[in-house]
Amino acid sequence: MFQKTRGYKFVIAFSSITIGIFVIFPLLWMFNTALKPSTETFKLSLFFATPTLKNFQSVLFDKDILTNLGNSLFVSFVSSFAGTLVSMFAGFSFSKFRYKGKNISMSIIMMAQAFPQAILLLTLYIMMQQMKMDGSYFALILSYIAFILPVGTWSLKAYFDQLPDALIESAKIDGAGWIRITFQIIFPLAIPGAISTAIYGFVWSWNDLLYSLTLVTDASRRTLAPGLVMKYMGEFTNNWSQMMAASIFVSIPVTLIFIFLQKYFISGLTSGAVKG
Amino acid sequence: MTKRKHRGIRLSDGAVGFILAAPALAIFIAVILYPFLNSIFMSFTNKTLMSPSFKMVGLNNYAKVFADPTFLKTLGNTGIFVFFSTLCPFVLGFIWAVILNNKFRGAGVLRGITLINWIVPGASISFLWSFIFDYNHGIMNELLRSLGIITQNVNWLGESSTAMVVVIVARTWQMLPWYMAFLTGGLQGVPFDQIEAARIDGANNLKVLRHVVIPGMKSMITIVLVLGIIGNLQHFDIPQVMTSGGPAGATTLFSILVYNKAFVGYKVGMAATIGTIWAVLLAVFSFFYSRSTSKN
Repeated sequence: MFQKTRGYKFVIAFSSITIGIFVIFPLLWMFNTALKPSTETFKLSLFFATPTLKNFQSVLFDKDILTNLGNSLFVSFVSSFAGTLVSMFAGFSFSKFRYKGKNISMSIIMMAQAFPQAILLLTLYIMMQQMKMDGSYFALILSYIAFILPVGTWSLKAYFDQLPDALIESAKIDGAGWIRITFQIIFPLAIPGAISTAIYGFVWSWNDLLYSLTLVTDASRRTLAPGLVMKYMGEFTNNWSQMMAASIFVSIPVTLIFIFLQKYFISGLTSGAVKG
Repeated sequence: MTKRKHRGIRLSDGAVGFILAAPALAIFIAVILYPFLNSIFMSFTNKTLMSPSFKMVGLNNYAKVFADPTFLKTLGNTGIFVFFSTLCPFVLGFIWAVILNNKFRGAGVLRGITLINWIVPGASISFLWSFIFDYNHGIMNELLRSLGIITQNVNWLGESSTAMVVVIVARTWQMLPWYMAFLTGGLQGVPFDQIEAARIDGANNLKVLRHVVIPGMKSMITIVLVLGIIGNLQHFDIPQVMTSGGPAGATTLFSILVYNKAFVGYKVGMAATIGTIWAVLLAVFSFFYSRSTSKN
């Protein structure tokens, strides 16, 4: 794309080094600190001299963190699955059907992400209190589904758009009903698109702090992100090694899912955002 | 044909289409549209979280908010945060995308590693950067001291003048991969024959960048910038965990102000007022977003 002139080479070399360090060093430092004994935290040393898994052990055997982990897994799986299913229905509808009010429904769902989340929370929190559902995940999961919908519907619609209409027409001529057409003919063909939406939904639900911090008031039902923040917020001056171990621990599920399914994720994300 | 015979007892295609979209619309109304309208309504009341009763107070809350220096300060903070937290990761992400687009060995792996930064939960990112910039044990102070740039440790997160810088650095680190991913897609869509043609006309690298590459990526650049701005206007995690919006409100963004008013001070009416003003700002950017996407 660019000619390899001296100036170009200089700019590229300089930015490769600076951006490279900026991008990669903090993650390495997090691992380094988590693998060092806590007495070594304050030194610029590397972990190789005295590697230890003690920090990870204390995180893994922490009852609160394990409870939070279970809650997070439950909430994220349910939200991701339900959000993907609802997105598939809507994406199929917007791609292959014609009816009154379709265009406005589409633009409404695309706008969902632009509403300020904190202001929605005010009403959601009061509704939960009034319905005496403070302890349940109902509002939390429903909110996560709503935030999966814009990207999910969009990328799945783009996916369904690529399927020929003739597929549906011929199934209809063969006498298949809509339920069969939807679940047995169309949805199986959209599985790669569904996977990218599901990953997106899982990562969103897993990483969210604002909603999980506010809508879950019961400590035993708290999820991982607010759980860690509540646990470590007060003691910001010490135990950095354990905090880094905990930070890595929370990141493992999303990172693993991401590494294995990265291909689907990136193509789904970009096609969803670019194709209208 | 059999198709015609069955028409009477089957749902029409349009009805099926609507039923398929219904769950999405119902969820949207329940957790977005109704809460949004109700919160706007509450902005005209003196509602608190302590009691279910409330009175209409007209525009009182709005008058109070605009007279409150905290609000103006938050407006300024949010402006600074949004500007730099969009621009910095965009520029760095762009350069990083160009570098990794030179298909050298390991470029793909490096791209994958970069994306991990974005996948990691905001809470972890906040812990990590709080540690790097920690007053006593942070590597940043350690590094700057050993290089002789500072003689005394800097209290990065404890000083109003530096806390926002640290928050923006952490947010830049988080979002750089996101811009990189989108802009890589954009770079690969730049028409190669146009670059060749510009070269034959004697264009240098800067001219190719300005007249071919950037115009070729224009729609992608618009979308990432608008989405980035909307995301940053909404942002909560990093300043909340790193500094709780402090010190002395120096990193309080709109989301944190609304959160504090409602869930720390229990004044939901006031929180809703601030939220409504903020929603108007977001609506302006969302308008540009829908315009820029509908063009594609």
